[in-house]
Amino acid sequence: MLRKFSYLIIAAWVLLALFGFAIGPSANEVNLNAFLQAPSSQAFLGTDELGRSVWQRLILGAQTSFLVAAGVVFFSSIIGTAIGIYSGYTGGWVDRIVTKIIDVFLAFPGLLLAIALAAVLGPGIENVVLALVVVGWVGYARLARAQTLSLRHREHIMAAKVLAVPQWRIFGRHILPLLLAPLGVEATFGIAGAVISEAGLSFLGLGVQPPDASWGNMIKEGTRYLLVAPHLVLAPGLALMLVVLAVNLIGDEWRDRLDVRQRTRGH
Amino acid sequence: MGKSRRNCVKTGAALLFSPALLSLNGCQNSDNAIKIGVTSRPRMLDPRKATDALSSRINRLIYRSLIDFDERFAPVADLATWEEIDPLHYRFTLLEQPIFHHGKKLSSEDVVATYKSLLDKVFGSAHRGSLKGILEVTAVDETRIDFFLSEPDPLFVGRLVIGILPADLIEQNHPFPQKPVGCGACEFVFFNEQKLILSRQNDHTELHFIPVKDSTVRVLKLRKGELDLVQNDLSPELVNYCQQQDVLRVQWHNGTNFGYVGFNFDDPYLRQLPLREAIAHAIDRPAIIEAMFAGHARLAQSILTPQHWCGLHTEDRYNYDPNKAKALLKQVQTPDGGMLEGEIELSYKTSNDPTRIRLATIYQDQLKEVGIHLNIQSYDWGTFYNDIKQGRFQLYSLAWVGVKSPDIFQYVFDSAAIPPKGANRGRYRDKQTDQLIRKAAEASSMDEQAKIYRELQMRLYDDLAALPLWYEDQYAVSRSDIEGYRLYPDGRLDGLLFVRRSTAV
Repeated sequence: MLRKFSYLIIAAWVLLALFGFAIGPSANEVNLNAFLQAPSSQAFLGTDELGRSVWQRLILGAQTSFLVAAGVVFFSSIIGTAIGIYSGYTGGWVDRIVTKIIDVFLAFPGLLLAIALAAVLGPGIENVVLALVVVGWVGYARLARAQTLSLRHREHIMAAKVLAVPQWRIFGRHILPLLLAPLGVEATFGIAGAVISEAGLSFLGLGVQPPDASWGNMIKEGTRYLLVAPHLVLAPGLALMLVVLAVNLIGDEWRDRLDVRQRTRGH
Repeated sequence: MGKSRRNCVKTGAALLFSPALLSLNGCQNSDNAIKIGVTSRPRMLDPRKATDALSSRINRLIYRSLIDFDERFAPVADLATWEEIDPLHYRFTLLEQPIFHHGKKLSSEDVVATYKSLLDKVFGSAHRGSLKGILEVTAVDETRIDFFLSEPDPLFVGRLVIGILPADLIEQNHPFPQKPVGCGACEFVFFNEQKLILSRQNDHTELHFIPVKDSTVRVLKLRKGELDLVQNDLSPELVNYCQQQDVLRVQWHNGTNFGYVGFNFDDPYLRQLPLREAIAHAIDRPAIIEAMFAGHARLAQSILTPQHWCGLHTEDRYNYDPNKAKALLKQVQTPDGGMLEGEIELSYKTSNDPTRIRLATIYQDQLKEVGIHLNIQSYDWGTFYNDIKQGRFQLYSLAWVGVKSPDIFQYVFDSAAIPPKGANRGRYRDKQTDQLIRKAAEASSMDEQAKIYRELQMRLYDDLAALPLWYEDQYAVSRSDIEGYRLYPDGRLDGLLFVRRSTAV
């Protein structure tokens, strides 16, 4: 039941993000005569403090969060995995240096570092992605390194080495396919983290700028009108909660499926 | 055994601290207190150094000054009346000698000591600049003080609004910011990060100023009875919400806070009048006033309100007219001498205050209609204000709060007042404006000055040195059992001297 619900939420999120391209600039048009209207037949989720449709802005917010999540996970995973595999496979002083760098990044609160970076780089969606990638690659690197350490002495890799297969090909064809499953699980949690972090940065005014919509800045703007128009916070807040919950549930499910011990116990 | 020892320690500690806690609680919860919600704690309770609006308003309750202003913002006597012996010599005579809160009677010595400390370079008062024309200040006798100026200054009397401090405590380097001592209607009681307490001299009613940063929380505290009164700094929707609550009451009064859009005259596009006029005609100010302020603001034409003794009385000539704006935009030239074709992109800087961003988004939407694409850049107050002072902007919006003296025009529009020398942030340079500023400063009578200042304001309005927006109304929200509060156009808190809690329930 929960599984179906999670996949349904994610499908809706992706559809909303795609639908965002069809909305166009009408979502940003200010209507001076329709400030803070409650949900009605004319406005499905009501209007915001500038008379704009909350439903349309929710869709644009879904697009923003989806693009940020996809961008962050894509770049973080590529960078982190590449560094992790190389470090684990090479070993020696390279591995020791990379491990120390990873430890330093892990010791620092991720969101705090992203806030500092976003503040230095300036507000904007590209800078949000960049800031989150800078803190996000570490998780993938640590996982990829640990997995590579356990894989590098396997027979098929030793055989490839003996046959003088180039290192990049060993990485790509003999190690990476075996890492995809755990990395996929890590990516699901990465998506949830990126969605929350983007909302957090936008809430702090470091994310997307007006008139662009993001769930984070919708919540931020809505908190000022909590007493008079609670729908401004409820709509993006619920959307954010559902997406993060669904992505986390899917991640949990995939992790359980890949866990050999749990599967054995099940049999 | 161990358990009984622990209990014994706990009981002992409770007995030791309970009298202290009880006394602290008793000190901060007096029944006759009026609790006022403010956005932040007052930063400076020494009137010689106070520059922020809240501190200045609270200092008015603790201290008294030589002069005050009437409804037309012309100087009137407060502690002292004055005569101009010659343009370089003014004599002030104390009308009364009130008692300072530490028991000493005010005399001319206190006035002299206050102004001498203000003029002391080492002391570093922010008000020293406006008083630098004072050559010497001396006490003639116990009630008369002479001010000698280095050059004639017809606006001189209006500058003597700093609260008077006792000379003996100035001598002792008393910490006035922490323990203010004045001769005003309220005496200082207590001050920490959470609360400032003053006591009214006439009826010993305590005034508690409680900082509550978030506007929604301020309204909730008002509704719950944790606050009794809030003045300004709520969104129009929250004020409307308060109006609908049975336990709350809302008062309104015309205000003088002047909102404007500033232009950078160093910018090759914005130095062209047709572009500034196009922007003025593209922003529907009456509709914004109606939507954003529920009609509680007045269209502005100048920094000074028409009610000011030298205020400008003219019709609003920049009505909302998108077609005219489009036609004006076609007259704009590109830096290479060609005519502007298509859209123009301009950046607009603002603070990250949500109301300011909301207004910026409305301008952005309205300007888009005529072909001006506004890039909104919102920053924290420090970064934003620094950028404006440094001239790193094309358009920005700010407000002038509590302006009373017409020498503001010299400070804001004189070619020689570009920061850090003044507040000509737009780098506005106009010979006619400079001449009128000099002429007004040299005028001998207030009538003549008023005439020149009106001419100057007309010139600034015609040339759109800045786009005047509106004067926001003042408002106060109070609990329904709070009576007698008065509002003033400049937002001063003097109404707290009359406020009381109704006894009828």
